[in-house]
Amino acid sequence: MAWRDLKNKVKRQFSDVLDLPGDIMLDLPKIVLVGNLQVFIENHRGIQEYNPRLVRVVVNDKVIEVTGENLTLRNIMPDEICVEGQITGLIFLS
Amino acid sequence: MFLKILNYLDGYVTITLPEECLEKFVNMATTRGIYLWGITNAAGNQVALNARLRDVQPLRHVARMTRCRFHIINRSGLPFFIGKLRRRRALLGGALCFVIALYALSSFIWFIDITGNQSVTEDKIARVAREAGLYRGAPKRSLDTAELEKTIMQQVNDLAWVGVSVDGTRVLIKVVEKVLPPDNGEHPVDIVALKDGLIKEILVLSGHPLVREGDTVTSGQVLISALIPPPEIEEESKPNAAEGEAEKEQQLTLQYVHARGIVRARIWYDVYNEIKLEEQVTKPTGSEITKLCMKIGGKEIILMGPHQVPYVHYTEHRDVKRLPEWRNIKVPVEVITVKYTEQGTYTNKLSRSEARRLAETQALDELRSQMPSGAKILNTQVREVKTAGEEDIVRVRVQVETLEEIGMEKPHQQDGGGSGIVDPKHGNQADGNQNNH
Repeated sequence: MAWRDLKNKVKRQFSDVLDLPGDIMLDLPKIVLVGNLQVFIENHRGIQEYNPRLVRVVVNDKVIEVTGENLTLRNIMPDEICVEGQITGLIFLS
Repeated sequence: MFLKILNYLDGYVTITLPEECLEKFVNMATTRGIYLWGITNAAGNQVALNARLRDVQPLRHVARMTRCRFHIINRSGLPFFIGKLRRRRALLGGALCFVIALYALSSFIWFIDITGNQSVTEDKIARVAREAGLYRGAPKRSLDTAELEKTIMQQVNDLAWVGVSVDGTRVLIKVVEKVLPPDNGEHPVDIVALKDGLIKEILVLSGHPLVREGDTVTSGQVLISALIPPPEIEEESKPNAAEGEAEKEQQLTLQYVHARGIVRARIWYDVYNEIKLEEQVTKPTGSEITKLCMKIGGKEIILMGPHQVPYVHYTEHRDVKRLPEWRNIKVPVEVITVKYTEQGTYTNKLSRSEARRLAETQALDELRSQMPSGAKILNTQVREVKTAGEEDIVRVRVQVETLEEIGMEKPHQQDGGGSGIVDPKHGNQADGNQNNH
């Protein structure tokens, strides 16, 4: 969709010029990794899959895949998810 | 941390649901603002998660919508704990009893410690305190420390200060005893010689002198007697009086005083010292090693440092640290730090004149330690003792003559130390002493 791409482009330029954080302006997820023990994903749209080796979290228009061992969801709140365990990878799937 | 406490107070449940419907369930719950946490895998394709107690009803609704069944497997938190306690009345009652008993018993006095007493016995103070209302098991409320202090002060004579402090169920009575000044004048006291010597000067302030200047005295001999004989004039003026009567009168006029006076005498000291020209001495080499060990019961465990001391000659210094004792409990654990200092041996060589000087100073130092602080040195004589053969040793004899005070107060003894009753003129007495010398 050309119109949507254009809108995003304008938004990104706007936030670049004004130095506004992208997570507010563009509705992007903010991911904080604490070593390989914890991942905080803010601004999510729910989970798609969960098992101890793999967690998929839906964000704006992408899916974040967290892989590792003994993964648990420490807490789920409407705007934040915390995944705990031995994290080995974090991939964006579009 | 804060959230955990809040969850505990609110109460929370752990529920399990099948793995395949977790995503739907969780997403729906979160969009409804239900807080979930601790999502982990449980046995048999099940997933366990925690939710607040007040969210259970909305979760049932979510479950119905997503068509998954969930089971509550664990309930925790304060509301459930209270419910559990309600079913166990006896436990609650026991806990309550314990608290009440603790509170009630802590309002009595269980320990009484008395410190600071030396000559006054603890029993005496404890007896007075008991009469004043302080005993084991006395209620704390009835205790008036200021009043108690006053009572103990009044009842026990030998105390200068009493402090009573209450520390929980323990009462500490601190006492300070009176320090009485030494008796003066009440008991007869002689002045006796401290050392052997030749009397140089004698000044009698009170009492009866038994020695004169120039007399030789031995240590312990009475110099100034507490017993003053009757005046001689009396005897001479009444030669005709009956003997018995005179004796009676003499007995009556005998007077005992606290003898005072200054007696200075010449004293000789003699010291022999020898110094070897070649001597083996040990000195720390400067290298040292520290061992840290822990003693538990009878066993010693080395925490740090060598198991065997790597020095041939060494001195060790132990520093033992232990926990303070409390009541009757001793903790049998000690931490010991041992410091080993290596000692090396050297040969110290001296020339003959150096050795002699060293021997002299050592001898004089030794003499000075024997003399009292007020002694005045009149004469010093140093002689080297020579033997027939040439030796690698220097022998020195040092003689010092001093003038010092030799009087010492001693309680008067009725028949000891050559009292002046027998012969007031003391001629015989002095002669006898000189002969003894």
